[in-house]
Amino acid sequence: MKLLVCVKQTPDSTVRVKVAGDGRSIDASQITWAISPYDEYAVELALERKDADPSTTVAVVTVGPTRSRDALRQALAMGCDEAILVTGAAAESLDGLAVARALAKVVEEAKPALVLCGRQASDDDQGLVGQALAETLGWPHVSTITKFRPADAGPAGSVDGIDVWREVEGGHEVWRTSGPVVLTVQKSEKEPRYPSLPGIMKAKKKEIPEKDASSLGVDAGGAKLEIVKMEPPPARGGGKIVKDGDMKQTAAELVRLLREEAKIL
Amino acid sequence: MIAPTTGNALLIGALIVVWAVGWGLFVRRAWQLYRWLRLGRDEDRTEHPARRLRDELVIYLGQRKLFKRPYLVRGIAHALIFWGFLIITVGTVDLFVSGVFGYRLPGTGTAPFVWTVDLFALAVVASIALAFVRRIFLPPPRMHVALDGYLILAGIAFLMITLLVFETAGLVAGVAAEGSADPPLGRAILGLWPSPFPGESAAAVYGAAWWAHLVGVAAFAAYLPQSKHLHIFTTLPNVFFRSQRPRGALDLIDGIEERETFGAGSVRDLSWKQLLDGYTCTECGRCSDQCPALATGKPLDPQKIVLDVRDQLLREGARLVRDGSDRGTPPARWKPTKTEELWACTTCAACVEACPVTIEHLDKIVDMRRWLAMNEGDVPPEAQRSLTNIERAGNPWGQPPDTRADWAKDPAVPTFAEQPGAEWLYFVGCAASFDRRNQKVARATVEVLRAAGVSFAILGVEETCNGDPARRIGNEYLWQTQARQNIETFGRYGIKKVIASCPHCFNTIANEYPQLGGSYEVVHATQLVQRLVQDGRLALRDGAARDAVAYHDPCYLGRHNRVYDEPRDVLDAIPGVERVEIEPYHRERGFCCGAGGGRMWMEEKVGQRVNHRRMDQILAVDAKTPVTKVASGCPFCLIMLDEAVGARDVQDRIKPIDVLELVATHIRPPGAQTEARSDEVEHLGRASG
Repeated sequence: MKLLVCVKQTPDSTVRVKVAGDGRSIDASQITWAISPYDEYAVELALERKDADPSTTVAVVTVGPTRSRDALRQALAMGCDEAILVTGAAAESLDGLAVARALAKVVEEAKPALVLCGRQASDDDQGLVGQALAETLGWPHVSTITKFRPADAGPAGSVDGIDVWREVEGGHEVWRTSGPVVLTVQKSEKEPRYPSLPGIMKAKKKEIPEKDASSLGVDAGGAKLEIVKMEPPPARGGGKIVKDGDMKQTAAELVRLLREEAKIL
Repeated sequence: MIAPTTGNALLIGALIVVWAVGWGLFVRRAWQLYRWLRLGRDEDRTEHPARRLRDELVIYLGQRKLFKRPYLVRGIAHALIFWGFLIITVGTVDLFVSGVFGYRLPGTGTAPFVWTVDLFALAVVASIALAFVRRIFLPPPRMHVALDGYLILAGIAFLMITLLVFETAGLVAGVAAEGSADPPLGRAILGLWPSPFPGESAAAVYGAAWWAHLVGVAAFAAYLPQSKHLHIFTTLPNVFFRSQRPRGALDLIDGIEERETFGAGSVRDLSWKQLLDGYTCTECGRCSDQCPALATGKPLDPQKIVLDVRDQLLREGARLVRDGSDRGTPPARWKPTKTEELWACTTCAACVEACPVTIEHLDKIVDMRRWLAMNEGDVPPEAQRSLTNIERAGNPWGQPPDTRADWAKDPAVPTFAEQPGAEWLYFVGCAASFDRRNQKVARATVEVLRAAGVSFAILGVEETCNGDPARRIGNEYLWQTQARQNIETFGRYGIKKVIASCPHCFNTIANEYPQLGGSYEVVHATQLVQRLVQDGRLALRDGAARDAVAYHDPCYLGRHNRVYDEPRDVLDAIPGVERVEIEPYHRERGFCCGAGGGRMWMEEKVGQRVNHRRMDQILAVDAKTPVTKVASGCPFCLIMLDEAVGARDVQDRIKPIDVLELVATHIRPPGAQTEARSDEVEHLGRASG
């Protein structure tokens, strides 16, 4: 089985993001980039399938500026077999739908049995690309999954379909889907694996083919969305510690503050 | 005495055959063990020959490490058996030589020699009796009491008793050699009991006991290399080739980018010295006695780490020697639970300190962790998170790297970029940079340095994690990356002298950065303060409060670097502070807080928490001498102790504090107390980010 994982390179969660001077983008000068966390779960889920069945191959693709190559290297270091970088001037400013269209071309060429995406990217949190990709391809999709595996083999040993687990309140739903499908990933059971050093060294040497976004029929003008303004969240005011007096007095003071100052009681 | 074989070619032949068989078996096994030892990777252990010879005299011949306090009586007993063995061996060789050639070794007939042999024989018998009693009635909890030990003790007892019997019987039978002194013990026995041998039997008893003794020696020789008693030989090289690196320094993996495997993926990847450690272990369990992980119910047992390596070598050795491409089982996968044992280690080095035969447990554990971390990427998830955080944010907590110097904004602390000529670098470390409680220690350090007029600066956001947690978790590659980056930054500013308030920063910069070409004069803050006080550059005032301060030894300051006295001197120099020792768990026996070896960032779900056990030890002292503060010199100890006083509900009367904070409160004008209230303290979690 061939799996394709779509990832996005986003600022690492340890980075304190600042708005750039233009007021419409983030200041990229001090940023450490990484694979978006949900996408990392998607990579882990794909690799767990490969652990279970070594005949599985896992390819990873990203659409973005050339620095996104590092995200692909990270996925290769974790154990993915091949990587495809869709880049070029056109790839710098695409919106979710345009990214999905570019990915659809890659999927048509690579012909994977299923496609995994993170449920949303950690930078813009739109949660759009997976579903848009499925629609563009005309494939079914299941969102926010936590596990998948081939359904029990039929009498001829052929795979009937894929069983998919979704976390719901208090338990799991199990879905069965046939044929090619797009899955968006909520979480993997295990934390995304730590790349081994030989894995990192091998990934460093691996060839990553590059596709120009415009050659896939998308261009910079294709974006339907435009960011007008970005602003940081308002600075948090200092908290207040109620500590004078005994327990009764502090409780009374707390109620008074919640009622009169915070006005939430 | 005249040997019973004298003039009888048949008996001489029999004696030669018996000894040839016994020692032949010894040599055969020794050769086999040597060949298996050679499976280990090469490691040069010949530097500092003079120190090695001194170790041999002090540790091997002098038995120094056996006399540690809790083991003093058995240590003396052991030393008597050992010294007895050395002396009596000369006598044994003499017996054999005179039995075969009828020739006495020079000096063996003299009264001093005969007296020494007899006195030691008596001491050995008494010590063996003590050992038997202890094993049967008071078995030490961690000692591996097995048949092997009893056989060895019985064997030694047999040799000593036969020696005394043939000496006594020889006196009665009148076989004393001309000009040879009488054995005093035989004389004494005959003095008490004039005719122990009825009729003419003395000569027969003499002959029988003599033969029993010499056949016994041959049998013992054959048995020895099959048993843990082999240590009487292997300790000799094991002490000689002990590591002469600073204890706090782990081994460098050279040319890491060109390698295909890292750490111990096979017994072949452990060095020959690490394998020799296995042959040398006597299963005494002293390492296990001191292990904080084992004491609190974790699966780790340092003795087992050593014995597992030995057992694996004994089981796989023949196969691996036959087939050069066979790599056998990775030591970290020797048992299914092995990885849990390895991750439980805090690298506190209590085991290494305790071992009487200089076994190096830590290097094995880290080599196995290296294999797990770098080859398999198999690291506990929280530890993995801390490694990723170091990679991406330059600190294990995953705090935004551009906030590293936020603590130093008010009052402003100069950076090297602002003040390039500063004499000292204050390497703040991640804990004091990001953890709110420990930021107070950083501020206190700055205040003290300023008060003493020390020229210093920090690196600010240019500082990055020193790499210690990564190296101890097993990610040598990440340590090297971090270390090279810091060395590069130090070099850019021409930094020669470094102050660290964290013992982990101190240890790795002082002892490990030289492996990558970064050599500096490095001091821990308490060492510098001690010097400043001594030189009269820092005057300490009497504070308002009287404090009884228990001093907790951080492992990477104490055991790893033997900085025991400086922090104590500093405490003693503070007026109004009375130092309390956490006896007996202090100095060399200081009990870990539980945070070393990357454990700071791992969950502790099994057994009791190590810091709670440590707190209980402090409370036991407190019950006799009330303690108001517990001082340490390490940010991780501080975090652990803070948690522990809360867990034991003593936070209102015992306050964890850093030595530097205490110093800082005593350089301020009286009344200007700005100490933290413990309820305002906020620590970073174990694995956030």
